[in-house]
Amino acid sequence: MNSRPAELPPVMNPAPPQTQTLRKLFLTIYLRGRSSRGLKLKTAPKSVWQKLAIALLVYTVVGFFFSIGFLSGHQPLFALAISAHSMTFVFLGMFVSTSAGEVLFNKDEADILMHRPISTRDLLWSKIRVMIQISLWLAGALNLGGLLVAFYKGNILFPLVHIFSTVLEALFCTGSVVLTYQLCLRWFGRERLDSFMTMTQMLVAIALVMAGQVLPRLMFQLNEKGWLELTPSHWWFSLLPPVWFAGLDDAVAANGNAGAWLLAALSVVATATVVWLAFGKLADNYLAGLQSVAETVTRPKTRSNSQRRWTEIIATIPPIKWFSPVSRAGFILTTAYLFRDRDVKLRVFPGIAPMLIMPLIFLFRDTRQMEGFGAAFSSGFLATIPLLVLDLLQYSQQWQASDIFRVAPMAGPGQLSQGARRAVLFILAFPAFILIGFIVWVAQHTVSHLLLFLPGLILIPIVSLVPAAMRRGVPLSLPNEEIKSAGRSMKIMIVMFGAMALSGIASWTFNAGVFWWFMLAEVVLALPAYLGLSAWVSRQRWKPLE
Amino acid sequence: MISLNQLTKRFGQQIAVNALTLEIPAGQIVGFLGPNGAGKSTTLKMLTGMIEPTEGSATICGFDLKTQPVEVKRNVGFVPESGAVFESLSGLEYLEMIAALYGIPQDAARIRIRQFLTFFDLSFDTLTDKLLGAYSKGMRRKVVITAALLHNPKVVFFDEPLDGLDANAAVGFKALIQTLAREGKTIVYSSHILDVVERVCDRVIIIDKGKLLLDGKPDELVATHNSGTLEHLFTQLTGGQELERRAEDFAKTFRS
Repeated sequence: MNSRPAELPPVMNPAPPQTQTLRKLFLTIYLRGRSSRGLKLKTAPKSVWQKLAIALLVYTVVGFFFSIGFLSGHQPLFALAISAHSMTFVFLGMFVSTSAGEVLFNKDEADILMHRPISTRDLLWSKIRVMIQISLWLAGALNLGGLLVAFYKGNILFPLVHIFSTVLEALFCTGSVVLTYQLCLRWFGRERLDSFMTMTQMLVAIALVMAGQVLPRLMFQLNEKGWLELTPSHWWFSLLPPVWFAGLDDAVAANGNAGAWLLAALSVVATATVVWLAFGKLADNYLAGLQSVAETVTRPKTRSNSQRRWTEIIATIPPIKWFSPVSRAGFILTTAYLFRDRDVKLRVFPGIAPMLIMPLIFLFRDTRQMEGFGAAFSSGFLATIPLLVLDLLQYSQQWQASDIFRVAPMAGPGQLSQGARRAVLFILAFPAFILIGFIVWVAQHTVSHLLLFLPGLILIPIVSLVPAAMRRGVPLSLPNEEIKSAGRSMKIMIVMFGAMALSGIASWTFNAGVFWWFMLAEVVLALPAYLGLSAWVSRQRWKPLE
Repeated sequence: MISLNQLTKRFGQQIAVNALTLEIPAGQIVGFLGPNGAGKSTTLKMLTGMIEPTEGSATICGFDLKTQPVEVKRNVGFVPESGAVFESLSGLEYLEMIAALYGIPQDAARIRIRQFLTFFDLSFDTLTDKLLGAYSKGMRRKVVITAALLHNPKVVFFDEPLDGLDANAAVGFKALIQTLAREGKTIVYSSHILDVVERVCDRVIIIDKGKLLLDGKPDELVATHNSGTLEHLFTQLTGGQELERRAEDFAKTFRS
């Protein structure tokens, strides 16, 4: 038998270390996406870099927006640090928690890499380093505004300390998410890894969104001059991780009092512990997780069977059973993915969390000056749920399976899009209206404010037709990589501003006593819009594949 | 070269591979057969270190699968059934990445890659101008086969390697594995294309429900069981005797 060194050509340049090769691989995959749709080598990375550049620009603008409030000379640097670290924590947490499952446990990757001579620890570290690297790009963009504000206020030390504390925060965020996976593996075993990972990721993402929306409102208030100020301290503030990292900034660059040093110490100890547990002590659990991904045997899953029965039962309930067969198939497909597919669940549910949280915040801030604004705002905001969800539902790891839609004897995607739209309305949007409506009724002890849900309810059939009308309503038909689009977020933000404007008008007409005239006007405008969009959608034909 | 001793894999109550004991010497081409769900892929994944056995042991090239997994992996090549690749890399980027994981310098890897291109009758440009996501199934399979052989492994596991290859490439591939075996490499070849297995393999192992059913030379097995062909022997052993009648019954349901 021939030995390996004898057959190979002589060594010219030494091969790079394995970890460097892996890091390069995972960074390339992040930038280009896991799958490409026949892109040429020269164009694919460029387009992704452009998307990344736009995302970083958006993050920078958001960071500046949050930092402007701290230009006042009266506010302590600690307030700016808390704001910057809270924002960073939420954005990084969301990024890591939504991408970690795909990055850490990918089935295709198991088939490519698991039989190669790579140690589990090297594989894990390479992935983590890339995640941290990208987190730091995002954190850098987010914190640029805060750093400039601190520099403007004359504190030169703050930017340096803040950069260090942000790196620690990125390590803490990434480590916490990885640790959650390791603990899920250790406590619940690899058999139940997938369902627990999904649930954990969803809860973490939803909690982060809630924390990002609610906490700043609890921690800051406008003073009489209109500047943001930190509300008087509560003991529980010190339990929040962003406060620890802000304590580090404050201890080194500002006050340096005992409390700040305590928080600073907490940030360092917590990060070190999380990193040690996630990447050291429990790293071997990662191998068990990878092996679970590589297994091909189908295990009996009672829960999955019950879900299947549930979706079948739904399809027999009127009016769903009266839909056309294609529309019903679209409905069942969408429902099944909304409840069974980890990838879809992780995008959709954290995505709509702000839609449910924001109305609640405004409900409880309802003012006497504009009675019912909270209810009207909720209604407008909830009406955008189908738009967001249908947009997210286009993307799937199994997008190539959507070729079957074109093979089937359907002239166009209209009926299929209608099925997906109806699933989102029946499964998510209408229940959300009922839930928030119930909360309005209980919290505000009045039924009259429920009338303010009408503008949103009238709007929802039209808004939900928009994706299909724009040829973006076919579920699970695009690769996940195409989701990284700043333009998408912009469109959704424009619609949200539109919904807020509608809420304002509805609330004003309600208080001015001309609400029913407004309703009449909305119906008169909405009816032809709905009929026109429906006809447009049903007339659509498949676009030729590229 | 490959030694399995009571190798077992359980998934909860389900036994995927049941106490498999085998010895495969160097230079042999072994056809590894079984119906769907028989435990073939699970066995191959255990032997390539992708999943851990529940019980039993195995050694490859003298290295223990449980205690020396990285050494085992250094000596094996694997073409998985899925044919998965990183679709957002070009063919060259992918192969150079794989070579680097085995410590092969870039220049040496390029020379080796060119040798494979010559074998598959492809130009170097085909590896550089497109990302793997845009490759045809056959082209992708050629890249996966190249990636499995780049580091010159002593043992190669093929899981449905001909899937997607055109007739010429398939003929070339069969000649390649026969030559590799003559050079002393051990080939384990899992496939459902039984006539190819019958022609190419020195030895056939048939498993079903994780258990070893039969092990021997293809012509001897066919003669002993008086089956005529390996395909008939396979269907006899794995309960496929009624298939033709069932196919006829099913086809009748399409009559309008």
